[in-house]
Amino acid sequence: MNHKFRFAILLTAILASSSFQRPIHAQSPIEAPQETDQSENEKPVPIFTGSAGFISDVTGGSPDIHPIFSGILLIPIGDRWLIETRESFEDDMVQEPGRPGFHGPLQKEVDYAQLDFIANPYLTVTVGRFLTPFGIYNERLYPVWIRNLQSDPLILPIGTGPSNASTGAMLRGGFAANPAVTINYAVYFSALSTVTPVDSERTAGARAGLFFPKARLEIGGSFQHRLQDERSNLYGAHVIWQPLALPLDIRAEVARSQRGSGYWIEPAYRLTQLPFWRNEMRRTQIVARVQQFFTGELPSDDLPPVSTQEVEGGLNYYFLDGLKATANYGRQFSQAGNANIWTFGVTYRFLVPLGRTGSQQ
Amino acid sequence: MNARAILATLCALCLSSCFLAAAQERKQDPKTVASSRDQETSAEATDADGATPAAAPSPKPTPRSIEAAERIEGEKRFRTNCGRCHQPPHKFPPRVMATAIRHMRVRANITDEDQRLILKYMTQ
Repeated sequence: MNHKFRFAILLTAILASSSFQRPIHAQSPIEAPQETDQSENEKPVPIFTGSAGFISDVTGGSPDIHPIFSGILLIPIGDRWLIETRESFEDDMVQEPGRPGFHGPLQKEVDYAQLDFIANPYLTVTVGRFLTPFGIYNERLYPVWIRNLQSDPLILPIGTGPSNASTGAMLRGGFAANPAVTINYAVYFSALSTVTPVDSERTAGARAGLFFPKARLEIGGSFQHRLQDERSNLYGAHVIWQPLALPLDIRAEVARSQRGSGYWIEPAYRLTQLPFWRNEMRRTQIVARVQQFFTGELPSDDLPPVSTQEVEGGLNYYFLDGLKATANYGRQFSQAGNANIWTFGVTYRFLVPLGRTGSQQ
Repeated sequence: MNARAILATLCALCLSSCFLAAAQERKQDPKTVASSRDQETSAEATDADGATPAAAPSPKPTPRSIEAAERIEGEKRFRTNCGRCHQPPHKFPPRVMATAIRHMRVRANITDEDQRLILKYMTQ
C-alpha cells in the first residue's frame, strides 16, 4: 500500500471519527423523546434467515438441475453493531455420458462475513468480506427469492470480482438530503485474496445513488479501479423505477469495462389490475428482460467469450410472500450459436429467530 | 486514471457526504422540522377511531396524533423502500424485525429515519 492510500484511509478515519460524537438518531425529525431508550420489546435478537431454491433449466437442449441453499446469520450487538454472514451451497448438476442421473460438484461460497458499525445517521463502517457494491444486482437483487428471473444478467461479473465479493473495508450510508431526495453511497477498498472460498480482487471503488421517494425513482452510478493486472477503470449505472399508477417495477443496469460491456432492462408487472380471478392475479407477475453483452479488449473467465444478446420472458406466482414458483423462456443470440433457454423452479425464503421474539403491541 | 485521481475522488466523496450531512443537520432545527413534518403528514393522518386528530392544523400535536402520523408515514416508507427490491414481507415479531431492519439499513442503505418509522409500523 503506498503512502497516498494510507493518507486516504487516515483522512477517512478522521472524518468518520469526527461524526461518531453525534447521537445516532440526531436527524430524526419526528422522533419522540421516549424513542431514545430502546424498549425491551424491540431489542434485536439474532436470527437465521436465508433462501432455498430448486431451479431446473434446459439450455440449447442440455438439461441442468440447480439446487441452491443460502443461509444468513445476523447477530446484532448493542444498538450499533451487526455481524452478518451469508454462506451459499449450490450444485450445478448435468447429465454425464455413460452415467445415469445428474451429477456435479457441490460449490460452497462465503458470500459475505462482515462486521457493521452504525456510526451515525450518515455513516456505517463495514469491515470483513462484503458483497461488492458495483451496480445494484449483486447487493440487492441476487438472492433467489428476490430475483424476478432466475438467470444472472450477462454483465453481472463486471465489477463484482471472481466471487461477487470483496475483502477489506467499506464506508456507506443513506440519508435524506431533503424531503424529496435521499442520497445513498458506498466507498470501499478490497484486498487481493486467492484463498477459496473467500477469494477477491484488489480494487477500490464507490457507488452513489439518488432516490426520489415521491416518484419512486432511484438512479445511481458505480465506479471501480482495479489495483491489479491491467489497472483499468470500470463504470456502471443503474435505475429502479416503480410508477405510482401501475404495479410495475422497471430495473436496468449498464456496465462498461475493458473486459466487456453491456446492459440489461427488466420490467416486471403484477397482474393486480386485472378484473377477474383477483386472488390468483394479485399473486402473479409477468417479467421480461432484454440484455446485450459486448466483448472487450481483454479476455475474461467469468464473462461470455463472444458478444451475446438475450431476450427472456417469464411468470412468477407467489403462493406466500416468501414462496414462489417461477417459469421462463429465453432466446440467446451469439456468434457461438443461438439457443433456447427454459427455466422452471421454486424458491423459498425462511426466517428462524434465535431468541425471544417479543410481542406485537 | 492514476492513483492520485482515485484518491481525489474518494476524498471528494467522503467530504461531500460529510458536508451534506452537516448542512442537513444545521437545517433541521427541531421546532421548524416538527412543524413542517406535522403539516406534511397531517393531511393523511387518520386515527383508528375514525377521528382525524392530525388533520386539523394544531400548534401542539398530541402524542396520539404523532403516533397516528408516524404509523401512516411508516407504512408509506415500508412500501416505498422495501418494495424497491422485493415483495414487501408480512409483519414479523418486534425483536426479529429490529434485526431485519438493521440488516436492511446496511444492505439497502435505507436512512436512519426510514429504519425507525418502518420498525414502528412493522411492530405495531
